[in-house]
Amino acid sequence: MMMYHSWDSQNAWLRQILSRNFLYMNRATAGASGLADDDWVWVESHHGRIRCQLKTMEGCEPHTVWTWNAVGRQRGTSGLAEDASEATAGFLLNHLISELLPASGARRFTNSDPVTGQAAWFDLRVRVRKCAPDETGIQPTFSAAKRRPDDDGSRPDVLHWTRGE
Amino acid sequence: MTPDGSGKPLCGVITVKLGLVIDLDTCVGCHACAVACKEWNDGSPVSGPLSDYQPFGAEPSGVWFNRVRHYEVGDYPASKTINFPMSCMHCADADCVTVCPTGASYKREDGIVLVDQDKCMGCNLCAWACPYGARELDRSSGTMKKCTLCVDRINDERLPEEERQPACVLACPTHARFFGDFDDPDSQVSRLTAERGGFGLLPELGFAPVNRYLPPREPKPLTGLEDARSLLERGLASLASPLIRR
Repeated sequence: MMMYHSWDSQNAWLRQILSRNFLYMNRATAGASGLADDDWVWVESHHGRIRCQLKTMEGCEPHTVWTWNAVGRQRGTSGLAEDASEATAGFLLNHLISELLPASGARRFTNSDPVTGQAAWFDLRVRVRKCAPDETGIQPTFSAAKRRPDDDGSRPDVLHWTRGE
Repeated sequence: MTPDGSGKPLCGVITVKLGLVIDLDTCVGCHACAVACKEWNDGSPVSGPLSDYQPFGAEPSGVWFNRVRHYEVGDYPASKTINFPMSCMHCADADCVTVCPTGASYKREDGIVLVDQDKCMGCNLCAWACPYGARELDRSSGTMKKCTLCVDRINDERLPEEERQPACVLACPTHARFFGDFDDPDSQVSRLTAERGGFGLLPELGFAPVNRYLPPREPKPLTGLEDARSLLERGLASLASPLIRR
């Protein structure tokens, strides 16, 4: 239950706790579907598809999959090196989720919880299937973000902090 | 045993055994204790920097005095996640101190095990002696670092008395961590350990770890579940209908 720490910061300490995510699935469900830990899987919704890596667990409802949100990053963002695991292994569910509910008459409704108005990120139906052996790495990927003019791309190998008075 | 072997306390002799109680029933695995520990101790006069390697790179790592592991116990649907914070156990018979060739590792009279950074040569013998993985070699300074029980907080009289506790204890949002004197049978840590069956890790190795873990409580079976459910549904319906009728 650690991920709330690092929403949108990925700072030097918090990313030592979690710097990539997995798709989590009930172990028995995975076994019945021929899936195992660290398999690459396609996750497909009505809206799009992503490729990511799977972990199995007991404490997950058999027909539900979940992941820590907001870990995936475009390469070169959040002040991270371009080979940071957030960009090479982390992924987002955004590509699967439409901002609008299906058309119903002339009006379109946002895909939001009717009571709280929060984005409805809890009831999307997806298909999970194992990737072909040559299909590895997250999808979709994007080109590295353009660096700021004052950023030469170098990152420190070691950080030391000293206590100020 | 007292120095004269009689078992009776001698006048003026006060023994102290400081350590932590960690409640595995209420720990939610948020890592706030680990981060608060790093925040207080990083750059402290006792330990110096707690270095971070590749902090923004592919494999970030670093020196932490307190790490939280997560385990699953049992099969679905009777499974449970156990969040398990681990730091120095401040063993009564600390082998890490015995093996230290330079005298850098030492145990204070209040029970705290510390490393004198000026005497440590980073030989790693103490890390091999410790069965709890509590020792952390700082590759930048070349010295061993470890939990100090926030020795620079707990006796600091400039702090308000309630803040003279380790940073991890103060930070815990579920109050799953307690600090105190295990030698005092009336202390909070002693009472919690007695009441909840607190246990030390790997006692069979004989290092007499001081820290105690409180086991998860057995969940009580729900009674009158159907009654509760219908009550809840009626309550929710009366609450929600004015809100969503729009």
